[in-house]
Amino acid sequence: MRRLLFILLLSSLSLPTYAAERLRIAGSTTVLPIVAEAAKLYRQLHSGLTLTVSGGGSGVSVASVNRGHIEVGMISRPLTEREQQQLQGRVQVIPIARDAVAIAVSRVVYEHGVTQLTRQQIAAIYRGEITNWREVGGPDSPILVIDKEPSRGTRHVFAKVVLGDEWARAPGASIVTGSNNEGQSAIANSDKAIGMLSTAWLNKQVLAIAIMQNGKAITPSQGNVSAGLYPIQRTLDILLPNNHSETTGAFVEFLRSEQGGDIVRQVGYLPVQ
Amino acid sequence: MLRLFIHSSAWLSFSGLLLLSGFLLYASWPIFSEQGLYFIAESEWYPYEDLFGMLPALFGSLLSVGVALLIALPLGVAAALFNIEIVPSCLQPWLRLLMELMAGIPSVVYGLMGLWLLVPFLEQQLDLLTGRTLLAAALLLSVMVLPTIMVLSEDALRKVADDQRQRANALGLSWWAVVQRILLPQAWPGIRLATLLSLGRAMGETVAVMLVIGSIDRLPEPLYNLLQPAQSLTSRIGREMGEASVGSPHWSALMSSGLLLMLMSVAVVLLSQRRWFK
Repeated sequence: MRRLLFILLLSSLSLPTYAAERLRIAGSTTVLPIVAEAAKLYRQLHSGLTLTVSGGGSGVSVASVNRGHIEVGMISRPLTEREQQQLQGRVQVIPIARDAVAIAVSRVVYEHGVTQLTRQQIAAIYRGEITNWREVGGPDSPILVIDKEPSRGTRHVFAKVVLGDEWARAPGASIVTGSNNEGQSAIANSDKAIGMLSTAWLNKQVLAIAIMQNGKAITPSQGNVSAGLYPIQRTLDILLPNNHSETTGAFVEFLRSEQGGDIVRQVGYLPVQ
Repeated sequence: MLRLFIHSSAWLSFSGLLLLSGFLLYASWPIFSEQGLYFIAESEWYPYEDLFGMLPALFGSLLSVGVALLIALPLGVAAALFNIEIVPSCLQPWLRLLMELMAGIPSVVYGLMGLWLLVPFLEQQLDLLTGRTLLAAALLLSVMVLPTIMVLSEDALRKVADDQRQRANALGLSWWAVVQRILLPQAWPGIRLATLLSLGRAMGETVAVMLVIGSIDRLPEPLYNLLQPAQSLTSRIGREMGEASVGSPHWSALMSSGLLLMLMSVAVVLLSQRRWFK
């Protein structure tokens, strides 16, 4: 009996040490569609590989790569100083696409005439100085201001360009969401919402407004983004540890290949040259 | 052998408990030594500015759980009474099966139902800016703990001896008097246990609450306003734990949120000890 218990104990200890060839990727839900799509193709080509892709946000990817919980991270903003110190050059940042952060509003608001705002107006909304859509030419209803978790890359880029500082507070915010998916559904389910979204997540219920700059309305179209006209844009990157395995390196190469570029375009972003 | 097994299991769970509280204390120590205890009562949570005010999340947790229990406890006990005293006995097992099934549904399913049904419903019916509110979280939690309360209360009520019931009937007591004087007092230990268990579940519930509470670190105005977005300790931990680098003040502050949660449940368990109710 005692021996049996001992064996049971031993076998339970030895279980977690078993591991197949695996590649875990996590991080920004903005980069996620590209990598998920690429992974789908890649799995068909390499059947022996266990490839998992999950979200979490840019901040999470840095922490996870640093802890060795994942092989590859996805990030949709530049590394912060604090993060650079943590990583101490042990990780390469590899760009795979370009993207714009769209200012998205609910369909009702858009159809009521709010199709463009200046950066100052957007900032005033997020600071709580403008609280009714009427003040910017919309319907007479309060504004549901959707903020994002502070670790999210989309928020970093938005806050830097619109509010002036990547960690800026948004005292006008009504609720906080996490992933692009969550933000998208919060905007779609409301008739008075404004939020920030990666362009790949726009649809008929969640429409991007143009940003007024020097009298011109600039939409986050692919043309405006690649010409550098649209102000809230960024590169989407992959975090690759220097001591990565061959398999990991091969997958990142695949992301940067011609085929990877096609996937980037197909998902709705712009490839990097 | 069996003795050894039982002894070692007991010690294992006991030391697990000690280890857990020790770890939480250890992990949240930096934030206490750096900021004292005041930050618990402050209301500004901006981890990137080293502001770790706990009050909004603490308040949100307490209020949502409190309201949830206020709703679920009477309903659950009433449902248990209904099933035992009123429903024909051939239907009783079915009703109970239904409740047991409900108790087994994973919380994320409740969360999604809350997100797709409850939140839009509240938004439309009450004409709110958003349905993601403390009330949504409280209602969702009450639905989640209702089956637990009902099933356990039913067990407790069934254990009340039949001859006591018969004697009461022989004395000509009204049904309400039987319920009030005999059934409920005798079943009280079971109902108390049900309350404690559901309190634990409600307080620790993360995903479902995170989806419907709005996750904004701000005290409601006025304080009893349930119709505004808010934050709970669990929802904050769920949203921010992944990004906080281990050992940073932010991480330590999140750990102290966990410690607060634990202290709260310990406090509740201690307060509800039977000897204080005699």
